[in-house]
Amino acid sequence: MTRTLARLAAIGPVAADPYPWPYDGTVTSDRVALICIDWQVDFCGPGGYVDRMGYDIGLTRAGLPGAARMLAHARTTGMLVIHTREGHCPDLSDLPANKRWRSARIGAEIGGPSPQGRILVRGEPGWEIVPEVAPLPGEVLIDKPGKGAFYATGLDLVLRTKGITHLALTGITTDVCVHTTMREANDRGYECLILSDCTGATELGNHTAALRMVTMQGGVFGCVATCEAVIAATAGPTDGG
Amino acid sequence: MAAEQLTAPADPGPFRFAPEHTALLVIDMQRDFVEPGGFGETLGNDVSLLRAVIPPLQKVLAASRAAGITVIHTREGHRPDLTDCPPAKLHRGNPTLRIGDSGPKGRILIRGEYGHDIIDELAPCAGEVIIDKPGKGSFYATDLHKLLAVAGITSLVVTGVTTEVCVHTTVREANDRGYECLVLSDCVGSYFPEFQQAGLAMIAAQGGIFGWVAPSAAYLHALTNGAEQQ
Repeated sequence: MTRTLARLAAIGPVAADPYPWPYDGTVTSDRVALICIDWQVDFCGPGGYVDRMGYDIGLTRAGLPGAARMLAHARTTGMLVIHTREGHCPDLSDLPANKRWRSARIGAEIGGPSPQGRILVRGEPGWEIVPEVAPLPGEVLIDKPGKGAFYATGLDLVLRTKGITHLALTGITTDVCVHTTMREANDRGYECLILSDCTGATELGNHTAALRMVTMQGGVFGCVATCEAVIAATAGPTDGG
Repeated sequence: MAAEQLTAPADPGPFRFAPEHTALLVIDMQRDFVEPGGFGETLGNDVSLLRAVIPPLQKVLAASRAAGITVIHTREGHRPDLTDCPPAKLHRGNPTLRIGDSGPKGRILIRGEYGHDIIDELAPCAGEVIIDKPGKGSFYATDLHKLLAVAGITSLVVTGVTTEVCVHTTVREANDRGYECLVLSDCVGSYFPEFQQAGLAMIAAQGGIFGWVAPSAAYLHALTNGAEQQ
């Protein structure tokens, strides 16, 4: 994907909690990546992993319209778009024993059968990203074996190679994969923004608490904003160049 | 001979661990976070909420040492020239004191300063590992993972501060790396009671998505019972 100067937009300051994002005022869109985390059938589709565990997929789908809107905004303003997928090799050789044991205990064993194919196994229908936020050709896909998108993946290398310094995050679930990834990114020095209306969790209380945790101590992991606030704080893309 | 296997009742189910393959992790019990007059207090936090973990943690530390469990301490901090401090961390927000500024116990979060060191009550013993970390997680940009692998450690008993920040980040990192984590609910602390509760609930949610949670008494009891069986 070529991102030319002519398509650059300026983002910020975004009305965010607890400070106007980003910390350094304004950032051009070529330094921003939108990370779309685990919008997979297994986490928000009927018959998938979360559904099998007995949770309400209405909660994990709640952020989907916002995430689709933000994705369209990122594409038109020239941000780097990255999609992540949690999943394991078909032989489960990258599945920690305790993760498998726990999923079996709750009635949705990773690697086991479901109406959407083998649960959380790469290449299965349940592992695919839902159509509302499906990747376009050329967008980066990060396959991860864990909750965090940095551990055991090439994400950090991709971001540094592309000159990315700022991240906006959408995805599911707020308190698990989105938070883990945001924490990893924050420790690596990326300036992060989590989009409250583009995320969701299996329990509303965990969603709310996870968002509030970000805002404490002056923004210990970054900031929280809505996708509308990001769109409103975007100037351009410019026609110059 | 198979390693001795102990069991502690926990949420969401029994936590089984072999002492020789288990490490006690004591996270960031540093003067600047925990002591009156330190950095944490200058930010307006009530440090008594963190200090409540000291007495139970002292017992856990003593019992773990007696049982031969590997003890590892962590400290969050940066090099004196701040070259390992990301600009976003240094310049974010509008605090009265920033990292590297002179605070009541020396330069804030700088390695080698008095406030950066671990409180006397939980001082490391000779030979115990201290991990200096530049971030919230204990794995990123440290050699913790390698050190645990070499020592054959597969389970972690996690304590320290603060529950929703450094403890949570570390448990998430450990979980993705395949470690089994037991978080001791009365040995982890937060400046915010709401997050103490939410942080612990998130660990045990969805069948224990990040690990197990139990009070220190359950862990101590398992250690004692194990000793009786021998």
